[in-house]
Amino acid sequence: MPHTATQPPAPTGDLAARVLHVTKSYGSGDAEVRALDDVTTGVPRGRFTAVMGPSGSGKSTLMHCMAGLDSVTSGQVFIGDTDLTGLDDKRLTRLRRDKIGFVFQAFNLVPTLTALENITLPLDIAGRKPDKEWLDRVIDTVGLRPRLKHRPSELSGGQQQRVACARALVSRPEIIFADEPTGNLDSRSGAEVLSFLRSSVREMGQTIVMVTHDPAAAAYSDEVIFLQDGKIVGTMPEPTADKVLERMKGFELPEVVTR
Amino acid sequence: MMTKVTLRNLAAHKIRLVLTALSVILGVAFVSGTLIFTDTANKSFDTLFTDLYANTDVAVRAKPAIEGSDDDAVTAIAISEDLKERVAAVPGVKEARGEVNGFAALINKDGDLIGGGGPPQLGLAWNGDQATPLIEGKAPAKAGEVALGERTAELAEAKIGDQVRIAVRGGQETATVTGIASGDDLGVTFVFFDLATAQKLLLKPGQLSLIVIQGDGSASQQDLAARVAPLLPAELEAVTGDKLSEETRSDVDGALSVLRNFLLAFAIVSIVVGSFNIFNTFSMLIGQRTRELALLRAVGASRRQVTTAVLGEAVAVGVIGSTLGLLVGAGIAALLKVVFAAQGLELGGDLAITPAAVIMSYTVGVLVTCAAAYFPARRAAKIPPVAAMRDDVSIPQRSLRLRTIIGTVLAALGVAALALGLSGTGSTAATFSLLGIGVLLVWLAAAFLAAVLGKPVVKVLAAWYPKVFGVSGKLARENPQRNPRRTAVTAVALMIGLSLVTTVNVIASSARASVNDLIDRQFGAHYNVFTMSPGGVEPAAVDAVRAVPGITKVVPIGYEQFSFNGENQSYASGEPADLLAVSNASVSDGTATTGPDGVLLSEGYAKDNKLKVGAAVPAVFADGTRTQLKVTGIFPDSEVLPSIILSPDLWHAHTDKALAREIAVNAADPGPQTKQALEDALKPYPGVDVMDQADLKEMVSGQLDGFLVFFTFMLALSIVIAVFGVINTITLSVTERTRELGLLRAVGLSRRQTRRMIRLESVVIALFGGILGIGLGLAFGIAIQQAIKDDIAILSLPYGFIVACVVFSALVGIFASLAPAWRAGRMDVLKAIATE
Repeated sequence: MPHTATQPPAPTGDLAARVLHVTKSYGSGDAEVRALDDVTTGVPRGRFTAVMGPSGSGKSTLMHCMAGLDSVTSGQVFIGDTDLTGLDDKRLTRLRRDKIGFVFQAFNLVPTLTALENITLPLDIAGRKPDKEWLDRVIDTVGLRPRLKHRPSELSGGQQQRVACARALVSRPEIIFADEPTGNLDSRSGAEVLSFLRSSVREMGQTIVMVTHDPAAAAYSDEVIFLQDGKIVGTMPEPTADKVLERMKGFELPEVVTR
Repeated sequence: MMTKVTLRNLAAHKIRLVLTALSVILGVAFVSGTLIFTDTANKSFDTLFTDLYANTDVAVRAKPAIEGSDDDAVTAIAISEDLKERVAAVPGVKEARGEVNGFAALINKDGDLIGGGGPPQLGLAWNGDQATPLIEGKAPAKAGEVALGERTAELAEAKIGDQVRIAVRGGQETATVTGIASGDDLGVTFVFFDLATAQKLLLKPGQLSLIVIQGDGSASQQDLAARVAPLLPAELEAVTGDKLSEETRSDVDGALSVLRNFLLAFAIVSIVVGSFNIFNTFSMLIGQRTRELALLRAVGASRRQVTTAVLGEAVAVGVIGSTLGLLVGAGIAALLKVVFAAQGLELGGDLAITPAAVIMSYTVGVLVTCAAAYFPARRAAKIPPVAAMRDDVSIPQRSLRLRTIIGTVLAALGVAALALGLSGTGSTAATFSLLGIGVLLVWLAAAFLAAVLGKPVVKVLAAWYPKVFGVSGKLARENPQRNPRRTAVTAVALMIGLSLVTTVNVIASSARASVNDLIDRQFGAHYNVFTMSPGGVEPAAVDAVRAVPGITKVVPIGYEQFSFNGENQSYASGEPADLLAVSNASVSDGTATTGPDGVLLSEGYAKDNKLKVGAAVPAVFADGTRTQLKVTGIFPDSEVLPSIILSPDLWHAHTDKALAREIAVNAADPGPQTKQALEDALKPYPGVDVMDQADLKEMVSGQLDGFLVFFTFMLALSIVIAVFGVINTITLSVTERTRELGLLRAVGLSRRQTRRMIRLESVVIALFGGILGIGLGLAFGIAIQQAIKDDIAILSLPYGFIVACVVFSALVGIFASLAPAWRAGRMDVLKAIATE
């Protein structure tokens, strides 16, 4: 295994999101830390992409930058054809509202709203009426119909995360970002959520980017992007848990040895 | 170790603790300001009276003509001047000075009277009293010469050599200023005449008001008084200087302690409001620090240590708050002193910061803070150590059911105390204590019940939010209910001040309506000419009114005191039939013609004292005359007339310089011209005003407005403290919900929508408090009005005020949310999500 991997060529074709030569650094001078170092990559439309890497590899930073939650130090970020760099807070907020869906690891729902209200939250914020047919389909797919009137505190962790997924889907965003969506769940609930995410890609043509450190979760995706030390160090189409685990081991082993 | 934890925590939550300390500071400042100011006034009066009676060992004065009355005005018995020489010959007497005093007020260049409105306007005979030494010029020696008090001269802009006009009882004088003397402190004005002139103008020739005796030091005050006493006729007495000083002191002390208690009552309101804030802040701090406190417990801190650590913070806040509060209070007292001085009420001496005031300030500040923090501290101790290991443990919230029960019991006790107080206990102190306790209990009950009431009320109040404000509105409607207790305590803090302001407004509005109704019904004359000056309306002014063309009736009316049927009473005197007519009344029994020794009584008085037409009643007049009066007529009870009416003949016969207080005037053509003509005719007579019905209503309205402004001002502080409470609660809500706000921003809530959500939440909490306050205030106000129906007959609700109060509450909500909403809007989305 190479100690430092060269970046694979940027994917081409129909991309839902892409980053071009993105660098993100914190601090300055000697204290400068590069979370992302000249990263160029893209997320193909209608696919389930996983971003993997060890802690501190910059995978969360990459997602935050792609989603317009964080600014970049240099380079460009596109959602569809829209260049995010240089958008003000107002436009970024609108972009997140209309084009992006989010699923976080924890604290995903507004506790004062019912499950249904949480699902339709982005539409409510935008002042749009939900498409009834689509809403029904989303609700049925996540299997939450009997619990729509419940508050988050009355739902299990898995159910809460499914509500969050439904919320991300309901506005038909161009892309959904999921940040360790199974991090707080037991393996059965996690599997439920992941298969639901995969089926929304397969059946509804949704684009999803998921950050995870769990090879089993990555196995649900169509393609894995590997990150280390702020650089993309490889991709893996059609991943399985074993293959991913092998690859991850490969990343970390040399470092363990050298130290 | 635990001390270190306490100190670190104080440092870590500076802003929140500053807001809490502010509640303590303001409350303590109110208390200490009141105490320091009244102590200063006390000391100032002390010095004044010590100076005033420094040279008085014994004084000879008239006994009160009417037993049981200390009122100087009731004594019209004078002392013969030749008594002074005889008293001076008594062994041990160094000097006997004759004193003459009465009303004399300087008229300024605009034709207005100087001074008055509380402190006396004194006319005195110059007798070389060292308490009022000349500081410039020379003493008045003959008629047409006067010396003025230093501040009196300043107020009138008069200098030595100037001609001044002076109003005395029954007339005016012109004189040249020859000297300036000191000693006219605290708003008193001095005009000094030579002895003969003073006797002529203020008393009667050859008579004195008082003989002041200075001993040669060989005998005690008591011995001197005993030696002087045998020389005196029966109606005079010899009193020691100490007793005289004490009598004067006790009057002033009484007035000052009423003022102090009155101000302290308002201070208590501010402190109660502040304690709600303190309670809330400590509850919130503990809620936030659950894990940290659990960790302390897990590593071996006992429950007691946790409670002590939290109470330690409270003590620190209390001590710091009290210290700053004391300083602010001293500042307020100093400021009040300046304000009083600007009003002509100069308080001599420095600020008096007594140990009692300091101890009281610290006691109040520290005790209230600790008491308010005690319950949160106890709750902190109940945090299980396991909470340190888990994220989802919060302190178990006690059920609202217990609150409902406690609240209901407190409310019942409060209402019972109020009912008892309002039904009258006979003693003013007991009544006010009962009312105070009742109000406090009702407030506490509201604090308990508001948590239960909050849910439905907020739901209704914010029902329209989602429709108008969309998702921001929907979230804002739900948020106050996430911590019903906190919302309740915040709202109740605002409720307290507003409830009292509403009460006062209901009473004032009802009083206005009642008085207007009274004026319509019982003000029978076209005009009322009256004066507030003790000098009365001089006879020349009555003649001037009579001379105005088109005037058809002039009824001079006097009010005096006398002893009637064994009790000290006031009577009105004027031509009885006219007096009744101008009050829209007539006799209901007997006749209005009183004859030489007749008296008219009101129905109520006659009934209470079982007197009928024809009854003979013993009376003692102020000049000492004892006589029998015959009841000739009974008239219906009237608010504008005293219960007893005497003919002018009796009044004039037994009163030295009988002067009208008011004149009822009717005109052939009562219009603006006639009023103008009356005003023109009365121009030379200072302090006399002409009023018609509308003017009278306006005057009453003005007085009520003044009263409202004063009360609102006194309660404003408690409302300001409550606003801090709302700011505190909203700030905390924002901090607590950092992650949720981040999530909302991530899924597309704009900054504006975020700010709006916070603002709407704040508004609904403030509105809740406002509505509670208005509701409670209406209940208090209506209850009081019903209890004093005899005085305030008509209930009138101040609708304009109620609307204004609701709007004000909403504005408070908006104001309180400005900073927290701004912070929420500026929140960094990523950091918010990452916050643990």
